[in-house]
Amino acid sequence: MSSHKPPVRNSLPATHAASTVSAPKPKPTNNASRAPAKPSTSSQGPNEPSSDPRHLAIALHHAHRIQSQKDSEALILDRILDLITLPSSPTADPAAPSPADAHALKSALVPFQPSDYDNLIEERNIEGRCGYPLCPRPHRTENAFSTGANGSYRITWGAKGSGPGGRGRSMNIVPRESLEKWCSDECAERALYIRVQLAAEPVWERRAADVAGGQEILLLEEGRAAQSGQVNGKGKARSTDNPPSVRNVTGQLENLSMDVDSVGRGPGDVAGDMARLSVRDEGRAARALALERGDSVEGAWGDGRVGVCVRENDLGGAAAVAPRMGPGDDRGGSIEGYVPAP
Amino acid sequence: MDEDYSTGSVDSDREMTRLWRTWRTVFEMLQDRGYEVTEEEVQIPLTEFRIKYADPMGYPDRNKMKIQARPSEAMAAKYTPLPSKSNPSPQPDCGTIYVEFCADASGVGTKQVRAFNHFVDENNFHTGVFITQTPISPSAVRLLGSLPGRVCEHFQEQDLLVNITRHELVPKHVLLSPQEKVRLLERYRLKESQLPRIQVSDPVARYLGLRRGQVVKIIRRSETAGRYASYRWVI
Repeated sequence: MSSHKPPVRNSLPATHAASTVSAPKPKPTNNASRAPAKPSTSSQGPNEPSSDPRHLAIALHHAHRIQSQKDSEALILDRILDLITLPSSPTADPAAPSPADAHALKSALVPFQPSDYDNLIEERNIEGRCGYPLCPRPHRTENAFSTGANGSYRITWGAKGSGPGGRGRSMNIVPRESLEKWCSDECAERALYIRVQLAAEPVWERRAADVAGGQEILLLEEGRAAQSGQVNGKGKARSTDNPPSVRNVTGQLENLSMDVDSVGRGPGDVAGDMARLSVRDEGRAARALALERGDSVEGAWGDGRVGVCVRENDLGGAAAVAPRMGPGDDRGGSIEGYVPAP
Repeated sequence: MDEDYSTGSVDSDREMTRLWRTWRTVFEMLQDRGYEVTEEEVQIPLTEFRIKYADPMGYPDRNKMKIQARPSEAMAAKYTPLPSKSNPSPQPDCGTIYVEFCADASGVGTKQVRAFNHFVDENNFHTGVFITQTPISPSAVRLLGSLPGRVCEHFQEQDLLVNITRHELVPKHVLLSPQEKVRLLERYRLKESQLPRIQVSDPVARYLGLRRGQVVKIIRRSETAGRYASYRWVI
């Protein structure tokens, strides 16, 4: 500290010169003067910026980050190429996939973003397969000659009673490509059910805890089984013919503008799914808020930051009593002592 | 004779002509990059092109349309890096180029790109150019760029329908060799990062196959000075 005083900022050139002379070779950069002085750096010339080991460390740090980003992109590309060939047998049933295939799909999808998942669907469609990775059937294609319509949009009708005011049928205008991604509406629902569970942030920006201990991806059938188990345990009967409201569940489903509500789906399911999703969102939101506030202690989130204790105000012992009629009150009573004549 | 001019033959004529223009642009591109192509190849007339590459129905047969070209001496010199202490006699960083037209009319994905990558790798081409009729999927683009040590480019047929560098508003772009680049930086006492920049994805940069770190000289016409040269660093 004694040998490396930063030069005194002074408007007088003479004092400035004197102060710089007394300090042996200050570094030209600002942060170098703040850094603890090292004998090795002071011996080198000031016009060798690469000689600072901290610069090297910073450059290496960024290079490693870029490299890890490239590595994970390559990994995702490999996984997409693998998932194109699923399922392993051509007669597999997408409603009851083999455990090996389901496990392969779930583990492969961990680093995916929704956009990567869309790429996967597109690749599968190019191969002529249904977009849902566990479905072996070809995706549906409309023959323009048989239907006579070759426009780029299609009209889909909802279930009976799904229209405005509970009457008629709801109508959706859907781009033809998004209808032709799947083999059936069931597969569309299964695929989109997985899509909304994928994390939005890229894998190289996630924390290690999110990647390792994050929520496991559930297939639609598993989610339903868990849900129906709970509902049946409470002894509630499920009604399957009520008009579902899947369209309200997520905006993401809307973006893809798939008509998923033509599939019969109980309200219990939907409510359960929503609860599960929203609970997870709450946890995430709390964590984001804590990060923004700069909280590091996890215990501080749960029960508020200040001990809040509600105490009722004591109003004395006397209970409130209703006023009684005095003499003459029936005729109006006195006004500040003056009793008007009747 | 009127039977010959049915809708099918008009269609095939149209497609043949479009593809012929793309084909000529590809050859002009190879010539401008410095590959060895003959003048007859570049200026192939439509009739000859039709005889060579049409199938019996009159439609173009893209499977037959493959081009290979070797770099000329001048191009090899331009692509040779400066000798350094660790590498006293550097080899030119360019080699045989291979151009393939994809026959699939729609839905070009990783399958076709993987086959193309495999072919380029197996035959030891330095550069591959993959030309499709429709856009290719995002993962296919990523896969195309993932071949280590080789350069694979992608164009759509309609991108090459006209040669953009022949347009009157596009100035002349000339690639500088490493020696010329060093001389330029010395003369103006610059670091390369102080030059103006041009993106690799710029249409002219794509046409010339420029790579990151190279410098192009752009020669414009100037009303006052006759000619005006500027330099851009490819990034």
